[in-house]
Amino acid sequence: MKYFVTVNGRTHEVQVRERLGELTVEVNGKPLDIAYEEVDNLGQVAVRCEGKSFGLSIEGDDHRLGAVIAGHLYAVEIEDERERAAHAAERTASKGGGMIKSIMPGVVVKLLAQVGQAVEKGQPLLILEAMKMQNEIVAPSDGTVQAIHVKERDAVGSGAKLLTLKGN
Amino acid sequence: MFRRILIANRGEIALRVIRTAREMGIDTVAVYSEFDRKALHVRMAHRAVALGGNTPRESYLDMDKVIAAAKSSGSEAIHPGYGFLSENAVFAERVMQAGLKWIGPPPAAIRAMGDKITSRRHMRTAKVPVVPGLVDPVDDAKAAREAAREIGYPIALKAAAGGGGKGIRVVHAEKEMEGAFRTASGEALSSFGDGRLYMERYLDSPRHIEIQVLFDEHGNGVSLGERECSIQRRHQKLIEECPSVAITPQVRARMGEIAVQAGRAIGYQNAGTVEFLWSQGEFFFLEMNTRLQVEHPVTEMVYGLDLVREQIEIAAGKRLDAGMGKLQPRGWAIEVRINAEDPFNGFVPSTGTIRNLRAPGGPGVRLDAALYRGMEVGLNYDPMLAKLIVWAENRPMAIQRMIRALQELNVGGVRTSAPAALIVLEDQRFQRGEFDTHFLVGLDLSQPREGEDVIVAAAAGLFRHLAARRRALSSDNLARKAWSDRARSRTTSYPTPGSRGGTR
Repeated sequence: MKYFVTVNGRTHEVQVRERLGELTVEVNGKPLDIAYEEVDNLGQVAVRCEGKSFGLSIEGDDHRLGAVIAGHLYAVEIEDERERAAHAAERTASKGGGMIKSIMPGVVVKLLAQVGQAVEKGQPLLILEAMKMQNEIVAPSDGTVQAIHVKERDAVGSGAKLLTLKGN
Repeated sequence: MFRRILIANRGEIALRVIRTAREMGIDTVAVYSEFDRKALHVRMAHRAVALGGNTPRESYLDMDKVIAAAKSSGSEAIHPGYGFLSENAVFAERVMQAGLKWIGPPPAAIRAMGDKITSRRHMRTAKVPVVPGLVDPVDDAKAAREAAREIGYPIALKAAAGGGGKGIRVVHAEKEMEGAFRTASGEALSSFGDGRLYMERYLDSPRHIEIQVLFDEHGNGVSLGERECSIQRRHQKLIEECPSVAITPQVRARMGEIAVQAGRAIGYQNAGTVEFLWSQGEFFFLEMNTRLQVEHPVTEMVYGLDLVREQIEIAAGKRLDAGMGKLQPRGWAIEVRINAEDPFNGFVPSTGTIRNLRAPGGPGVRLDAALYRGMEVGLNYDPMLAKLIVWAENRPMAIQRMIRALQELNVGGVRTSAPAALIVLEDQRFQRGEFDTHFLVGLDLSQPREGEDVIVAAAAGLFRHLAARRRALSSDNLARKAWSDRARSRTTSYPTPGSRGGTR
């Protein structure tokens, strides 16, 4: 199975092969001598690779995960070949606009834009309150507000749809 | 000494007080909200009283419930911890009226320092230096713009009834005033029910230096050195140290004297902290926190004492030790706050269930936390999960020890501030002691660090591959088991002890 793994903005091709219960790994076409053992099924992993040893912590889902080595967090995105093609097609279609989602759970305190309104990059669209802190959610690019999916005083979860922006 | 005390708090500070009380042979009573019924502070106390409810307002902030819990459990005193009701003068009064001892300062002292405006008036009278600014709060953006012309930009807007970094904004130019006033005032209104803002000059390259003080009931007061809390963001501290690289023994003595003078001016008793802004050798009174501070452990490590023990003994009427004022700092301590927030995403709050947990240990390492596997991190309570504290002979060694301890620590299930703290500790400027309160905001966390990218990529590929394989195997299993279970439940009865059994 081939995966495209993006670590810190750089994409690596990781090929995992399984033969008679043995896993072999190639990264960017080069075989890697790696032993990977999950310790407790909660995220602790023992990794030995080319003479070095790591007490890794890894958690997340099939597409996004966080790995911690010696206290430093690596944000990782994973796609297989099919997902990679689908995502590329999606990106060309949306032209920089698209859905704006809440990156944290909170309460919508105030809407600062209306449907049909033209907005500039960086313009505040709404105020979200989480843990008693008010945060302005700003437009990621120039565009037009196509739809608003929340009302004032709505409680929203992490990843909830807030607005749809149409790119210029 | 008290036989039994109630701790009107939750999380790590409740556990912190319980630990000292247990060592003193005092019975401890925890209180808890419905959400916290399995929390560690409940399990570690001798007794626990349910307050019901989930939000702070329904539980830890409900004075009637807390006082009733103290009476029904036979407690003799209440320790408020920090946050919640700790700086509430009305609560302190009601505790005393109920015939209980209040492990904290007198209500009048809380009132004198509770409002930033009142406290500044008191300090001006007591000849304690304060930052240039307005004595009275403003209640609209227009008034703020006019006042700003007198004080001069940059200006800090602060909630009149504030604390904890809520309702605070820095305004660099007149055109930003309108928007900043709106959000700060909105935050202040929703957090404290008072939208008025206080304005003052924002000092250049300031350091946040605070002095720990202790006063007994007999008129004795001492200062216990400084804490440096300049590594902060939006006035929420991330890293604290004792002592500070910026403070010489002479300045320490001078600040200590002024802090004791400030406390004496308002008739202070018990433990408190006088916060100063330090800028180019000058220092100005900022506010006094009339409670135990979150970062009190760094003082404990360097001065070799237990501040919670001192608090309890002072409340029981004990005199301060004569030697207390002569204590000298020994070595260096650093504390890192482990908050549930994502430092690489503007420090937004992060929620989840703690599953993956690895605690650091070894020489000179102290972890003050109420973390446990299965703990749910929600939005109802403060995002601070743990405090990691280290002590070593000097600052460079303490920094290396903290880096080592952070490398050992894993708190999974939520994103935490720990990786950001590690980046600060590894920064050359921090190691040289060249930093101010803007350091953390100015730090570029978006730049990817050079690291073990290839290993991480390979491990991530294996993680997904193995997870997919496990799912494929186990779902098969589960489906088969469900079929057989269903068939069995139709034909077999399982009598429980109370039932008569048999099929119906």
